[in-house]
Amino acid sequence: MRIPGHGRLWRALPLLCAGLLLVAPTAAPAVEPVRYQAAPSAADLAIEFEALLGQHSVLAADLMRSRIRGDDDFVQAANAALGKNTTAMTNLVSQMFGKAAGDQFSPMWSEHIVDLFSYAGALAAQDAAAQADARKELVEYEQKLGDFFAAASHGRLSQKAARAAIVEHVGHLTAQADAYAAKDYTGADEMYRMGYQHTYDLGLTLANALLPAADRATLQQPLWRLRSQLGKLLAEHAALVEDLTRAAVTRSPDFAASGQMINGNTKDLAAAIDTLFGAAAAKQFQSLWADHVDQLVGYASAEASGDMTKEDQTKAAMADIEKRMGAFLSGATGKRISTTDLTAALQKHDMMLMKHADAYASKDYVTAHDVAYDTYQQMFDLARTMADAFGASVAAKLPHGGAQTGYGGMAAVVEKH
Amino acid sequence: MPPYARITALAALGLVTLAALAGASPPAAVARPATAAAAAPPAGDQAPAEVFKSTRTYDEVALPVRLRIPALKVDAKIEKLGLQQDGAIAVPATTDIAGWYEYGPRPGQPGPAVILGHVDSQAGPGIFFDLYRARPGTVIRVDRADGSSATYTITQVTKVPKVQFPTDLVYAPTLDPTLRLVTCGGSFDRSRRSYRDNVIAFATPA
Repeated sequence: MRIPGHGRLWRALPLLCAGLLLVAPTAAPAVEPVRYQAAPSAADLAIEFEALLGQHSVLAADLMRSRIRGDDDFVQAANAALGKNTTAMTNLVSQMFGKAAGDQFSPMWSEHIVDLFSYAGALAAQDAAAQADARKELVEYEQKLGDFFAAASHGRLSQKAARAAIVEHVGHLTAQADAYAAKDYTGADEMYRMGYQHTYDLGLTLANALLPAADRATLQQPLWRLRSQLGKLLAEHAALVEDLTRAAVTRSPDFAASGQMINGNTKDLAAAIDTLFGAAAAKQFQSLWADHVDQLVGYASAEASGDMTKEDQTKAAMADIEKRMGAFLSGATGKRISTTDLTAALQKHDMMLMKHADAYASKDYVTAHDVAYDTYQQMFDLARTMADAFGASVAAKLPHGGAQTGYGGMAAVVEKH
Repeated sequence: MPPYARITALAALGLVTLAALAGASPPAAVARPATAAAAAPPAGDQAPAEVFKSTRTYDEVALPVRLRIPALKVDAKIEKLGLQQDGAIAVPATTDIAGWYEYGPRPGQPGPAVILGHVDSQAGPGIFFDLYRARPGTVIRVDRADGSSATYTITQVTKVPKVQFPTDLVYAPTLDPTLRLVTCGGSFDRSRRSYRDNVIAFATPA
């Protein structure tokens, strides 16, 4: 995996990387026309910002890893996806905080991607001096971007807190790259998940610092919290199952660690279902969800070995799981979403994941990244639909009114409280 | 020139470089990914992906059994609470114990766990008599059946009319692992034998 003698090349690649980042803004963001047919509220934009930040973390980590592997084709496709993500984020920053903020944000954000790429290149080249240079650049960026957010918050986010948040984001990405380069895949993947979760939540931190009070209050309402949190888990599922199927298709040595990562997400999803519908429902859900992941891995594995019979078997099994999961989730929503609609959404999810695995196996990394980008967004959108239906389903069963927790024996005193 | 502007200029240069390389093969110095061929298992061995099985368990949180709030001298057993026939929440059977709403999250689970306690009995104070006094930062500990515990600190205490009880803020599902303590307060309606208000303490993990 180490690449001797390419120390000069990796120094030039950041320029290519930055060039692609500039190209990306001219491309129409594929997801936005559909998502923003109605004028979005500030809260809509804020949770979309969270999702894009989480996606950024995953894409940046994937970019760094491919750079460490010396996989230039994957690097370029990952970078194009990062450019698309940066463009979408810049649009959101402009809508939420003003065009001037967006204009400032875009080049700073792009710069840190270039710095992360340089850092990964230095790791690949085992060039300690270059690694130190890249880290120095990253520190400079951390301070600059932290200061930008602190200034934009008008005192609601201190310079120290803003810098700390950015330092943590960069720290997760460099730490996962360090571990990956050292073939510590378990450590790398722990940082990968932590990085995703922290960066996703950074969106709320920034929204809480930069948005007006009324919008901040909206984001704290239970429905908006559930939309955000379920979106985080389900979008992460899409990213992690793609990581796992990539490892399965290529039989790469990080497969076991990637499996632990998706298992962590599956556990978190089951715990969320327990919160909403109780332990019995959570166990039923987890069994179905585990089947779903297993069949996708089975599909990717069959693809790696060229076993068409097994591929067909896994497709048939997936179709059955989609129906059973659709029925389970529809029941959980109190039929607020039909089994047919949920089954169709899950079928689309599976088809996208299989298409991603197919593209990756054939080294069509551009298609693989395009599909992965859309799959992430599809799951985030589905999460919102489900959060609304789950929330309504649970709300219908909540206690009515206040609690009768007093008998009046101390009323003379209590009334003075 | 600020660094980000400098990078933008470099990026423009990168476009030119990229155009020059368009369609060219990857430079010889850059290796192909060491994936399928290099990492494939020996013939006859099963690849890890072929034997992969997803986890089918998650970390279940044990039931709450005891509530402790040292600053308020609360140290009480916890019982389960369901719903009454009219849809209102049930209340603890006696005024010296707390009640946990069993159809909501358990303390320490994602979501808002809710624990009720009486402010008084017909003759004297109940375990939440002093809840109104709790200040932000007050520590709450909930012991669980498996010996573990969850610790919270109070962030806010409010008093609201029961007829305007904020069901959404107290019970509505999120995945934030929070705790709400609820008791009675305000004036006592002697004709209905009921306090008119509820006192609610909101707490987050310590």
